[in-house]
Amino acid sequence: MTENIVELQAISKSYATRRGLFGRRVPVRAVDEVSLSLAKGQTLALVGESGSGKSTTGRVALGLERADTGCVLFRGTELPAADTRAWRRMRAQMQMIYQDPLAALDRRLTVLDQVREPLDIHEIGSASERNDKALAMLGAVGLNASHAGSLPSELSGGQRQRAVLARALIMRPELLICDEPVSALDVSIQAQVVNLLMDLQKEMHLSILFISHDLKVVRQISQRMAVMYLGRIVECGDTKDLLANPAHPYTKALVSAVPVAGGRTRERIILTGEPPNPAARPTGCAFHPRCPVARPQCASVSPAVTTLSNGRSVACHAVEIAPTFMGAEA
Amino acid sequence: MFRYFIIRILRALLTVALVVTFAFIVLRLSGDPAYSIMGDNASPEALAAFRKEWGLDQPLWNQYLHYFAAIVHGELGQSMRGGGPALDLVLSRIPATLMLTLPALLMKLAIGIPAGIYAALHRDSLIDRAVMVTAVAGYSVPSFVLGLALVQLLAIWLAWLPTGGAGSPLHLILPIVTLGVGGAAVLARFVRSAMLEVLGQPYIRTANAKGIPWTAVVRDHALPNAAIPTVTIVGFMVGNLIAGSVVVESVFSWPGVGNLLVVSVAARDLSVVQCILLLVAAAMVLSNLVVDFLYGFLDPRLSNDNTAGRH
Amino acid sequence: MTMAEKIDDTSTAKRKQVRSSRVPLSVAAGILWIVVIVFLALLADQIAPYQYTALDLPRRLAAPFTPGHLLGTDELGRDVLSRLIYSVRISLVVALCATMISACFGTAMGFAAAHFRGRIEQLILMLADFQAAMPFLILSLSVLAFFGNALPLFIALMGLYGWERYTRIARSLAITASAQGYAGAVRQLGASPSRVYLRHILPNISSTLIVSMTLTFPEIILMESSLSFLGLGVQPPMTSLGNMVGYGREYMTSAPWIMFAPALLIVITTLSISLLGDRLRDRLDKGLQ
Repeated sequence: MTENIVELQAISKSYATRRGLFGRRVPVRAVDEVSLSLAKGQTLALVGESGSGKSTTGRVALGLERADTGCVLFRGTELPAADTRAWRRMRAQMQMIYQDPLAALDRRLTVLDQVREPLDIHEIGSASERNDKALAMLGAVGLNASHAGSLPSELSGGQRQRAVLARALIMRPELLICDEPVSALDVSIQAQVVNLLMDLQKEMHLSILFISHDLKVVRQISQRMAVMYLGRIVECGDTKDLLANPAHPYTKALVSAVPVAGGRTRERIILTGEPPNPAARPTGCAFHPRCPVARPQCASVSPAVTTLSNGRSVACHAVEIAPTFMGAEA
Repeated sequence: MFRYFIIRILRALLTVALVVTFAFIVLRLSGDPAYSIMGDNASPEALAAFRKEWGLDQPLWNQYLHYFAAIVHGELGQSMRGGGPALDLVLSRIPATLMLTLPALLMKLAIGIPAGIYAALHRDSLIDRAVMVTAVAGYSVPSFVLGLALVQLLAIWLAWLPTGGAGSPLHLILPIVTLGVGGAAVLARFVRSAMLEVLGQPYIRTANAKGIPWTAVVRDHALPNAAIPTVTIVGFMVGNLIAGSVVVESVFSWPGVGNLLVVSVAARDLSVVQCILLLVAAAMVLSNLVVDFLYGFLDPRLSNDNTAGRH
Repeated sequence: MTMAEKIDDTSTAKRKQVRSSRVPLSVAAGILWIVVIVFLALLADQIAPYQYTALDLPRRLAAPFTPGHLLGTDELGRDVLSRLIYSVRISLVVALCATMISACFGTAMGFAAAHFRGRIEQLILMLADFQAAMPFLILSLSVLAFFGNALPLFIALMGLYGWERYTRIARSLAITASAQGYAGAVRQLGASPSRVYLRHILPNISSTLIVSMTLTFPEIILMESSLSFLGLGVQPPMTSLGNMVGYGREYMTSAPWIMFAPALLIVITTLSISLLGDRLRDRLDKGLQ
């Protein structure tokens, strides 16, 4: 068994939105008892709709936010509290890529300044060494010296994401968390950035937590994947296997929505009912109002996670009772 | 909805408490209140008696509570100059001030709102330009300059009106006009920009595209939405009724609250100043509360619990 | 839409473009005036023909254009032009210091609210609401009554004018930048809060803050001159524009120039700065789109 770079142990995170000085606190449970582990050098994809808590999970894994309960282990030790000195030093080892690279970059500083900034912050090397390192890193992500002097607004979307990637990787981190890194890019550019990410992963032995709603990209980049629905992991397993034989009814619906090349047409499962709202979480299994195979107990009892024979874990009453039935359908 | 109002009332009370605290802190920071209120010439016995009466020999926290209790009971001290209770003195001046500020408020509303709406609906027209120029000028001319210019023109050169003082309805004209013109300009500018903001919204374009007549779009969609921010500034003007004419009263020697305030500040008649401060705060808080309630009706989104918050 | 209307439409569009790219005459005049005023304030000692306290008792209340006294003299025979020049200096210094204090304090409060959130944020916002709701003139009169008047205290007091505007701007922009934007990204790189706020957020929001300062500056001049007019601001023998109007008012019938010269100066100066501020704001709004 390979060593885990990061491990989430039953983390939960609620947001209390207080309105005004006397406002009532309205707790919104964003992440609920999520456990995940990412092996060294591997990519784990986290899939779900918006509001499923996948971004929050990523932020908790990175230590940007503290979980209410549960703990995050990075290389076997718990993360220090956010915004402490120890926490800031740790940033060098774990980095993040964002959905909107233009927002993630300071519009007033040149690309070179921003790629060099982690070296400035952590005070590594002399000024000229920092510049050289930053230029080399820019080269590694496919940007040249003329891009180095540009402002973010002068670059294309793909180039901006490359700059963000260079900034994240210049400290040679071990863990990279990508929050929808390509969903804001054109499809043709998406492939380039994903390929670049995979090349760099091999080169730098990166472990990647890849947050996305795009199953095509997930299939290409990840070895394992986890599916989230309203703050919970409903299914988790080997990516290829999971996409070929989804067990959970929600995963089935997701997979059925992806067009498949080669003519093997599947029946599209259309979900009905309200789209998920974390502020009004249904009782029992959160998916039951939209589930095509829901049964009475689903509305009251939350399904426990069961591990199937092939290492797949699923949280569904229907699967608990008849795992073979679910598998046979695919 | 109910919850929204309760929160607003609590906030209002808290604000009043904040002003009282502010007055207490300022009073303490400014030196020994016995000296400040009794004057430097008071005898040591009188000072000691004063300290005992006001609990100044007690710990600060106790003093704060006493101070609070006294204010809740309406005990706002004696006027050093006049001798009588400060509150009575201030209350006796309020009618005179309202004689200026109420008509001035009506004038602001009667001129400012239509002018602002008209300017917004006919953007870049001659009238819009005129309104904007007047508004910017109204912003830049302090009320004492406007007042003195009017006095020079109408009272000294033309001798149509009295230069100042009180007595006849003629005495009212210049102060009211001085107050009203500046405020009308401010209001017109505000209403204009609120209207323009609303007119640029997608729902106005949608209503327009649906073929609803323009007058109906303005009446049913633009005006109610532009009214929401306008209510705030009008509320501020209402809250300012009892003390919004400090400078103008001073220019025209008008015997109102503002004049009393200036004289009391110059003479360091602290209980009177404190009394006016608290009354103004109460008026402001009250008008803010009314504004908040109006908001609750004008903007249903705000009274919804999920979004009840700042605006 | 007919052809003629279409042509008309494009021509108005063009006209608008031209108008927005060229500095309007009024704004240009305003800028010129500001330059002149700043020049006067800086070189008051060199330009003013007399000391502002110098008496010329034989020629009291001399009319404008009297030889030696271009704008006449006041009741003590002091040269109005010289007093005007020194008044400009004092008024500008007070307003400039106050604007700086208010901008620094307000921005710091806004950053504190954005950084700590929770109760501290609520407290700061409540203070801001309170400041915005209370008429500033009444508040400052009360403070002056209790503490008496000294120039440093007066400047500090004026420095509270409008702080809540910067607080609101700084808070909301910092929160946006931290939530999804560059500030959150830089924090995540391991930057200290001072680096995040001073090196990244402050330069990014400075244009908005500067516009706000330009719009607040004339209001502070007006507030200062109102208080000085009431005799409760800048105290004699020092002179400021409002204070000149206040004392000149006594001689309104016999020597109106003592009062109207500074009054006119106040109006033109605040008008110029307001025009500039409005222009800057429009430019900024356009730049943000």
